[in-house]
Amino acid sequence: MSITIENLEWKYEHTTEFALRGINLEIPENSFLGVVGPNEQGKTTLVSAISGLIPHSFNGIYRGSVKVFGEEVKDAEAVHLASQVGLVFSDPESQFTAMTVEEELVFGMENLGYDYAKIKERLEWAADITMISSLLDKSPYDISGGQKQRVAIACVLAMNPRIIILDEPTSMIDPLGKQFIFDILRNLKEAGRHTLIVVEHNIEQLAPLADQLLLMHEGEIAKLAPPDEFFEDTDFLLERGLYVPEVTVFGHWLRKTGKLPPAQKLPRSLDDAVSLTRTALQAKGGTA
Amino acid sequence: MTTTTTTAEMTGAPARRQKTLLGYVPNVSPFYNFHPVTRLILFLTLGVVPLFIYIPEVNMFLIILNLILLKWGRVDLSRLRIYLPVIVTVAIFMGTVVVLAPGEDPSFTPIDLGWVTIYYQPVFFTFAAYWRLIAMLFGTILYFSINRERDILVGLRSLRLPFIASYVIGLSIRAAGMFMEDFRIIREAELARGLDTSAMKFRDQVKLYMMYLIPLFSISLRRADEISNALFARGYNISGKVAGGGERLDYIRSLYPMTRTDWIAIILLVTIFVIIGIAQMGFGVFAITNSPLEQFMRQWLNIPPA
Amino acid sequence: MATATANTENVWALEEGEVRKPGIVHVVMLALFTGIGIVVGTFGSLAVPIGFVSAFWPGQAVQSIGAVWFGWWGGIAAALFPLLSNSLSGSAPLPVSIAYLPGNLLQGMVAAWAFRYFKAHPALQTSKDWGIWILWGAIVPNAIGAAWGSTMLVGFGLITQAAQFTTFLGWFIGNTIPTIILGSIVLKYVSPLVIRSKAFCKEYWA
Repeated sequence: MSITIENLEWKYEHTTEFALRGINLEIPENSFLGVVGPNEQGKTTLVSAISGLIPHSFNGIYRGSVKVFGEEVKDAEAVHLASQVGLVFSDPESQFTAMTVEEELVFGMENLGYDYAKIKERLEWAADITMISSLLDKSPYDISGGQKQRVAIACVLAMNPRIIILDEPTSMIDPLGKQFIFDILRNLKEAGRHTLIVVEHNIEQLAPLADQLLLMHEGEIAKLAPPDEFFEDTDFLLERGLYVPEVTVFGHWLRKTGKLPPAQKLPRSLDDAVSLTRTALQAKGGTA
Repeated sequence: MTTTTTTAEMTGAPARRQKTLLGYVPNVSPFYNFHPVTRLILFLTLGVVPLFIYIPEVNMFLIILNLILLKWGRVDLSRLRIYLPVIVTVAIFMGTVVVLAPGEDPSFTPIDLGWVTIYYQPVFFTFAAYWRLIAMLFGTILYFSINRERDILVGLRSLRLPFIASYVIGLSIRAAGMFMEDFRIIREAELARGLDTSAMKFRDQVKLYMMYLIPLFSISLRRADEISNALFARGYNISGKVAGGGERLDYIRSLYPMTRTDWIAIILLVTIFVIIGIAQMGFGVFAITNSPLEQFMRQWLNIPPA
Repeated sequence: MATATANTENVWALEEGEVRKPGIVHVVMLALFTGIGIVVGTFGSLAVPIGFVSAFWPGQAVQSIGAVWFGWWGGIAAALFPLLSNSLSGSAPLPVSIAYLPGNLLQGMVAAWAFRYFKAHPALQTSKDWGIWILWGAIVPNAIGAAWGSTMLVGFGLITQAAQFTTFLGWFIGNTIPTIILGSIVLKYVSPLVIRSKAFCKEYWA
């Protein structure tokens, strides 16, 4: 297991309620976990606890245990944690501190004590995979939102952590930029060398990539299942404020009204829905 | 990463500019063939040497030298007009003070202008001091006109400034830019809601600008949390320790190799600085009494030599 | 925004078992406050340019405020930012700005010391707090700064000895008035937020 969480509870300073309650979770190595749920349910808090931001950078009450590759996060040093867990924030600008994109990329690697040759190699690789090679000399503040987020991802990739967490990476960028990000995630998943944890509201694009989906509700894990099982009970998901893809809700209705067999997998994408609708119409004796 | 200039670029149309927080720098400049530390030492020479020089003609020459270097460096000289108010008002202020409060010394020579009496010695001293100040100012203007923020930091780190110090300076410069950007956004939001500052009294405008600082300070608090989280996520800690306990490498600085030209320039500049320093402190070569203008004025006004 | 509480001592006193350590957030706050000072200082010098005595310099408010809130981190920022703001505005060349460093440091740290020593609340809740602020946050620091700065100018031969008092006076008045106006507004309305932040320093380093 890459990440093991036992009875994790966390309350921020100056608040009255626990933001995380009784979290128990194991995340296998090189798997892809999608974390979903409405705002203010504990998604960011959960990934912050995995990355070590909690409790190192926040004051509060911490109970339980988070272990990354067997090591307790709350006892680890920043530089060691950064070498194991990379975190991409939702607001890319909030994580830029250097004058140029190139400096942003090398900053983390210098902290990890890489030598010049390794820095150069990782820099070129990360810039290439995120398609930002032409931006290296630019200020990270003078590029578009999508480019900023790609730079943020490149900064993490350059450090080559075994676990990469992306907290709402597409929330502040345009549709084309979002597509770029998901393409990068797809490539990373296919490479199979990292454990990926992605907090997202864009479930249509997240679900096809994820090995498991985790729903956070009021600081607790409400559901953890592979995508096929996760959407089985859409009423359950909707009651907990999750935006379920409309095609899934449509498929659920088809099943409930007997137009699809009960064992039929629910669609998660438009293509799935079209195929399912054809099946339903054919079963009714119609033409597709 | 220095920009190599070609002959065509150097003799062609004026270079386009790049906006930095600290001003405008040309995209192409012969100065970029020099290492940032060489440019820093040039600044330390031109910006500090006037302190040793009390002869106004020499400081005027330094100012002209700075202007020539600015022109050679393909800097847009029209940008210098933002310094005109300071240059003029410093002259007015210094002149006013020396007229109203010249001090008392029996050796001072009064000059009766009819409506006011001035004293030659403090007036000429102030005149010389003014040109020293402006010469130092132009040294600073030259430096900020031919260095982007990254060049400044590379230059400082080349002089072995500790990483945390250079990081703080870099982040401060970046923070100033963010602060101004936030200010602009707040202003635009208010303008979009119909605020018309031109119709306001000056006092109300001052109050308005002061009130802007409240959200700006609040944003800074949030930013401090975000940036410190980002630094933690990148493995940086307050001790600056790197993984493995070794020395922190400076990749960006490694991209700026020192050339023979740089070493020659540095040796030359340091030698000039030392010579001028010794000449003045040891032998008074640049003392105000050695100024040809001063000597001429004494002759013209029949004032005995000091 | 937090409401005023009766006991101002609570702001500076450590709670039982409370441990405060310098952290990255303090280094970052130092840098951010230096950036704020650069902008405010440059703007002030350019808005009413008179030269190195700046008839209107709100930057000193940033010096006092920063040191009150963040202790030595604010004090270091107070010393650092004039190096850049003076260069950007042309109001003082670099060697002179470097010579101003001790004066600038004191302009911040006097307020930091006074608020902690007299246990004044940064949000200026009582008349005592206002008195401490005006005297030790504005008048005394600027008197020290103006005296130091004008002495440096004499030492560098940029003004005559006879001009020192006039320079001192212009400096003192030009700094004190904007400090009182600007500093009072910022302390009053922003202190409650700062006190709850991680960067706030009850002592001098944390």
